[in-house]
Amino acid sequence: MKTSISRRAPWLVCTTLAALVSATLRLWQLLTIFEGPLSLPIPNAAPSITLACTLVIAGACFVLLAAYQPLSKRPWTQGQAHRWDRIFLAPSDKVYPTLVVTASFFVLIAVPILFIRGISQWQAYHQAKLLGQQFSDNVVLTIAMAVMALLSFFGLLQMGRYSFYAGQRSQGGFSATLPGIAGCIWLMEYFRSHAADPVLWDYVPQLLAIMCGMLFYMDIAGMSTSAARPRRLLWLAGMTVTLSAISLVTQARAVFLLPSGTNLLFEQGDLLGDLLLLATQTLVALATLWRLPPNLEYPPTIGSPFSPPSKEVYDRQEDPS
Amino acid sequence: MEQEWEQKQNEQEPSQQIPSRLTGAQARKAASSGRELYLNIRTLVTMMTIFILLFTFVARIIVVTGPSMENTLHDGDVLLVWTLGYNPKQGDIVVLTQKNYQEDSIVKRVIATEGQTVDIDYRNSRVYVDSKPLEEDYIKELMNTPNYPGYGMGINNITVPEGCIFVMGDNRNNSADSRYPEIGIIDTRCVIGQGVSVLFSLDSFFKWLRSS
Repeated sequence: MKTSISRRAPWLVCTTLAALVSATLRLWQLLTIFEGPLSLPIPNAAPSITLACTLVIAGACFVLLAAYQPLSKRPWTQGQAHRWDRIFLAPSDKVYPTLVVTASFFVLIAVPILFIRGISQWQAYHQAKLLGQQFSDNVVLTIAMAVMALLSFFGLLQMGRYSFYAGQRSQGGFSATLPGIAGCIWLMEYFRSHAADPVLWDYVPQLLAIMCGMLFYMDIAGMSTSAARPRRLLWLAGMTVTLSAISLVTQARAVFLLPSGTNLLFEQGDLLGDLLLLATQTLVALATLWRLPPNLEYPPTIGSPFSPPSKEVYDRQEDPS
Repeated sequence: MEQEWEQKQNEQEPSQQIPSRLTGAQARKAASSGRELYLNIRTLVTMMTIFILLFTFVARIIVVTGPSMENTLHDGDVLLVWTLGYNPKQGDIVVLTQKNYQEDSIVKRVIATEGQTVDIDYRNSRVYVDSKPLEEDYIKELMNTPNYPGYGMGINNITVPEGCIFVMGDNRNNSADSRYPEIGIIDTRCVIGQGVSVLFSLDSFFKWLRSS
């Protein structure tokens, strides 16, 4: 247990600190640099420069942590290709499955919100067509996002469930492609809806958060297919948490500024949907940072109910002689 | 080696045995198909990430809507817009968004930048910047005196404030631009980028179809 805490502590402390500092700087930025009725940013303002520098420093810290992350030799099972997916195994650990299953239910709550938003966009599109007006929202992307969010729920549930199974090879990592593909559609939809925004600070933090989350899920999937990049996965997890914290603050402030009596579900479904999806990827990334660092050094042996084993037990299992 | 592993499996307790649904060769084949599929998906995802980063920070592609920039640009033209490090200059075609007018972007030409004065003489259809007449061979037709209330009024000796630009469409009689009260003088922070070139023109395509 002490070994596990010492392995994961640097990651968790660094990520939490980066997320808190970035979120605070973003709030400072939102409160001070946007001026006028069009909310245009003051160029080269201190909060913006500080936030940008903080993100660069956070990225560099995560690179250092990843570079110094001890990794065992690539785990190899006889008859199988090299696989890292057993590093998700830890039946005695309750934190990882709790976080991942909670995240899956967050994305499930987002599903009807996205569907309602898609349906209302569809109705608005038909009305605009009847009036001969142009309609700029893309209904297909919104509906596709809702469908993929539903599939992501199952994918995340699988990822949480497989961590309980002792003695079996975990293939739950591949189900991470579902939230990864959902992230692709989310990215396309988000970029399309903000492409005409001339203010980069309005949407770039969330754009980067969605990108990091999407690549993070794809790297989790890669752990099950002999295309593993454990260090990059940890880096992406850290950046996902940091950038998602910034975006969560932005969305929360936008919700706070809405006029009283606004129906969040029917009128601001995009805000609510984004909040839930950002919270989902934050929880999964935190769960990965909790589970992976100790397991990467001492991958649990298949058949062992306890994970990760101590160094002596691990060495004995790998070399019985 | 595989036989030794299977023997070891059989000696273990049933609860500790790994389900051996696949032989070694089948498992390797399945692993490689799964790996191929994953690598294809990952490549698509990575390419999409790169394109979106390019389109966010470097350049983007927009479709021109409306006739306000005729005959330079037509409705449906696909325009390449350069965004990285761009500062508007007089004569440039710019893409901008004025949120209090409409959510979508608009395409206009920069007539004057900060510190310059603008005068419009509708009778002679001339535009003067810093008291010098502009050579405007790009406009579609001569300007008519606007009859929309407030449109173009007061554009006499206007000095463009710091950090702003004055824009007009090339189709002067059918363009909502800085002469239009709801748009007015544009803050340069509303400018997305410079229209560099037309990648595809529906108008040229239809002309080619008709000629052929």
